[in-house]
Amino acid sequence: MSRAETRQDPAGGGRPAPTGMRGVATVPSYVVMQPTTLCNLDCSYCYLPLRAANRRMPVPVAAAVARPVNIWAAQQGRRFSVVWHGGEPLAAGRDHLAALISPFSADVEHHVQTNATLIDDPWCEFFREHRIRVSVSVDGPRARNDSRHTRGGRPAYDQIRSGVEALRRHGIEFSALCVVSDPSPGLATELYRFFLDLGCDVLGINIEETEGVNVRSNRWPDRAVAGFWAELVGAWRQAPRIHLREVEWSLRYAAAVLDDTADEVLPRQLDPIPTIGYDGSVVLLSPELAGFSDPRYGDFTSGNVLASGLAEILATPERTPWVTEFVAGVEACRTTCPYFGFCGGGHAANRYFEHGRFDGTETNHCRNSKIHLLEGVLAHARDQPAAD
Amino acid sequence: MPETSRQRTEPVGAAPGATVAEAGGDDQVADRVYAVRDGLALLLAEAEQARRRRAEAAGADGAVCAWNHFENIPTFYNWNNRPR
Repeated sequence: MSRAETRQDPAGGGRPAPTGMRGVATVPSYVVMQPTTLCNLDCSYCYLPLRAANRRMPVPVAAAVARPVNIWAAQQGRRFSVVWHGGEPLAAGRDHLAALISPFSADVEHHVQTNATLIDDPWCEFFREHRIRVSVSVDGPRARNDSRHTRGGRPAYDQIRSGVEALRRHGIEFSALCVVSDPSPGLATELYRFFLDLGCDVLGINIEETEGVNVRSNRWPDRAVAGFWAELVGAWRQAPRIHLREVEWSLRYAAAVLDDTADEVLPRQLDPIPTIGYDGSVVLLSPELAGFSDPRYGDFTSGNVLASGLAEILATPERTPWVTEFVAGVEACRTTCPYFGFCGGGHAANRYFEHGRFDGTETNHCRNSKIHLLEGVLAHARDQPAAD
Repeated sequence: MPETSRQRTEPVGAAPGATVAEAGGDDQVADRVYAVRDGLALLLAEAEQARRRRAEAAGADGAVCAWNHFENIPTFYNWNNRPR
């Protein structure tokens, strides 16, 4: 079938709307767990409201989550992850984290998203023993980590590097997440070279977002952001040893467009991404909403695993009014945004923290991390068709 | 709460000053993909080669990707991009 035939709408209009991301799935592919609210750092852009308090997750909360998760993980062909997030998950301590992990079956993958500052030899042995995959939050070279500091204002960079060195000493492969606060020319190359040297296998780049208690603006000139992504593609091509999430996904979409399979790129349904707070409360879709409340939406929770099962909570997401409003927002994206087939709809937290509600459409995050990402990759393909 | 008005966004490949909506529907996004398909073909070939090299270098528990379903990268690094 030719491209022109494929793109014809039987009704005579343009291309039919993409069909993915319709409704919320009742079985997630991962859950986010908050072993403690405490973080030993106090990063300027952090969205977490309780990071100075040490509220630890009781083991019965983990056990309640493990019951359905062990079933989902055992299903043939599925891969299921528990992401220990925070706060800083290592601030919970090894003994408590081990107790929280213990109810989960061996089929379940465990991940920690950590600031790395607490990683030492005993932690590396712990990661090995429990087969925990490690993802480190670091924003580039020392000068780029000004936002990452202790509560007393001391830069965290040396501690982060010390933790990463421990991982490398133990031969533990790791991923990295990097927040970009100012997408200026030259930064993408600097960052990519840094992460090559750091030794991560997978890298995700997040343009800073205005959400939670972080109210810094994330509105950047469109061309600056697209230029950042285009430059990043160029840096990556020089040494593509790292799986660079944003570039891989953009190329995946572009390849699918060229193959006339673009409608197969998005998942069929939205992943509910349940975040289990330290107290067992469940927030769907956007972990950033956990710990907040709003006169109109309440505390954003959809229940508590100690009161009703996680599977039961996920079976009826529409019982949470803001989720229904969010799904309407995704449908609005589907019908109005030309990038929907690439993006799948703006995230709940970005809609709420930028628009004050969930059924709006385009956000600054959409522009920074989806629209201008794709445009930057296309601009690179247009301007620099061959590697040196 | 932040204001809710829609701000102008100017696709790089579109006419200067155009909003996303003014730049056309997803047909026009696809058209821009097609317009740079030669450059993309090189990029895609390099990316595939890079993935093969990463897969060859990785152990069973490596954090390295597989192409279609990204089976070896952290599942939470998916396109939902949550958490950060």
